[in-house]
Amino acid sequence: MMPFIDYKNMVPKIVIGLLIFAIVLVPVITTNVATLSMLILSGLLAIAVMGFTLVLRTGQFSLGQSAFLAIGGYTSAILTVKLSLPFWPSFLVAGMVSGIVAMLVGMVVLRVGNIYFSIITLALSEIVRIIAQQWEPVTRGTRGLITSPPPPVVLGGFEINFAASPVPYFYLTVCLVAATGLIFWKLGESRMGRSFAGIALNPVLAEHQGIHLMKYRVIAFTVAGVFTGLAGSLYTHFLSVITPYLFGLWQSIQIMIMSIVGGISSLAGGPIIGAVLLYTLGDYLARLETYGIQPLLFGAAVMLVLIFLPKGTGLVDLWERFWRKVVWREEEYEPDTSDD
Amino acid sequence: MPPAGIWIDGLIQSCIYMTMAFGMVLVFSILGILNWAHGQFYMFGAIVVYYTITAWGIPFPISILISGLLMAGLGISVRKLVIDRVKGDLYVGVATISLIFFFEGAASMLFGMQDRGLSTVLPGVINLASFSISYQKVAVLFFTLVVLVAMYIVLNFTKVGLAIRATAQQPDAASLYGVSVGRLSLIVMGIGCGLAAMAGSIMAPVYAVNPFMGRIPMIMSLLAIVIGGIGSLTGAIAGGLMLGFLNSVIAYYLSYLSEVVLFLLVIFILLVRPQGLFGASLK
Repeated sequence: MMPFIDYKNMVPKIVIGLLIFAIVLVPVITTNVATLSMLILSGLLAIAVMGFTLVLRTGQFSLGQSAFLAIGGYTSAILTVKLSLPFWPSFLVAGMVSGIVAMLVGMVVLRVGNIYFSIITLALSEIVRIIAQQWEPVTRGTRGLITSPPPPVVLGGFEINFAASPVPYFYLTVCLVAATGLIFWKLGESRMGRSFAGIALNPVLAEHQGIHLMKYRVIAFTVAGVFTGLAGSLYTHFLSVITPYLFGLWQSIQIMIMSIVGGISSLAGGPIIGAVLLYTLGDYLARLETYGIQPLLFGAAVMLVLIFLPKGTGLVDLWERFWRKVVWREEEYEPDTSDD
Repeated sequence: MPPAGIWIDGLIQSCIYMTMAFGMVLVFSILGILNWAHGQFYMFGAIVVYYTITAWGIPFPISILISGLLMAGLGISVRKLVIDRVKGDLYVGVATISLIFFFEGAASMLFGMQDRGLSTVLPGVINLASFSISYQKVAVLFFTLVVLVAMYIVLNFTKVGLAIRATAQQPDAASLYGVSVGRLSLIVMGIGCGLAAMAGSIMAPVYAVNPFMGRIPMIMSLLAIVIGGIGSLTGAIAGGLMLGFLNSVIAYYLSYLSEVVLFLLVIFILLVRPQGLFGASLK
């Protein structure tokens, strides 16, 4: 007897698997620095976007994600440059410091919630940027700190040299994105992830079901902070310089835009799609020398997504719809009652 | 004690923040959403005035009215085209934040990235004993007084104003009494955006005009309405007044760190008194 294969479920997954495989194999095809650095930076931003999406899952929208990129980046830059610690411990410390800051801020700020949370995180991202700009003796102000790449790692007679080419960075980024994606995906599927969704949907009901609102919101914010800090650390070491201009409110808004365009229905897929697509587009548009076309298109993209793909489903939802409607030609399920 | 110039600068900034915060609160109290792109209407107002004066030679007071009317129209179309079609309060916030990018991009494509000045409008200074004040700044002061008095009269003595206040308190009850809440929210969006644009156009001769001039007034008026209490009109005015003076006086002593001090102050106020200094908790 033939075993039953749910090919409608399997084929899209196999296609996604092949796509991921193709991305992982990019350095084999081309070692062009421009292509690789674009992929690396978009991957690192994807982690920050995942953090934003996780916080948005709890119904709070944070305009301070770039603050955690900055905290992570500056922590590891200061540790390696000023205290000459090796890269790997500073990388971990960067994530920890960023997480601790997120936890402290979250414990204080998430009490007020909603629109106030957005405003305070906005203030946070600007405060971090201004401090980085003004605290000359430690951060060197607008001139920026020059960081060195991680030292070569010897793995069984095979040396991985970070200074020579971006390929090791690329695989490090892929590993970090994969780890973050897996952890966030598992978190989303777990009881805790369901609690997050419950809090976003109806805080009062969730509280009456015995879900501690503050606890879960702080956990989401802290987890987002830790991974964003790690990404920030790698970001600075890859760019080999950290200046305050990389951060601030406008970077936070860019992270928000990537998250919404990618779609928030998936904690890992949507952010990756959004970050890679928009970062690539932005990089291409920046070369056109038509100032302003990049923010114009980014803003338009978000509004189009919000209007035509409502409730923040984003592009990741289009993928499923593409298979259902274009490939399998399924009948659309129409609910009888309209719920407005 | 800072010199008189600092206080005058503080007063001018307060005027702008008051007008902007007033419009923002008005929109918030009727539509229930925060218009994050308010500062970009301010920027557009300045740009429209720049063009009406330099390209067409329309006198300054009429240009201000033109830019106010145009931006009121833009505000209404934003309400119709974007805010109405996006579902969910959270996502409306996201949409207006992305409007910031959209408008700034559009402005930098049309207007260019460079600073342009309008300093030829209203030249001259008034010399007082120990300091002088330019006519441009006097105009800002005069404009703000006119706007606030006009808004006071509109909100207290006209039918539209009473309808706005009733709707802010109880939308359902107001609509039972024959107020068309949908049409009213369009009017309010127009008034709010028009006020922001007029503030921008009166400020155009004082500071440089560029596509990013709306950012700081936007952040500051957000902080002002948080200090005053979201949804409270008197709170918005008091918050704007406080922030303008605080900003310029603290900046006199601490230069760039003044923003950090202001942000920390706002965070402190929010934690101690989340509904703001004047706000009743608005649900």
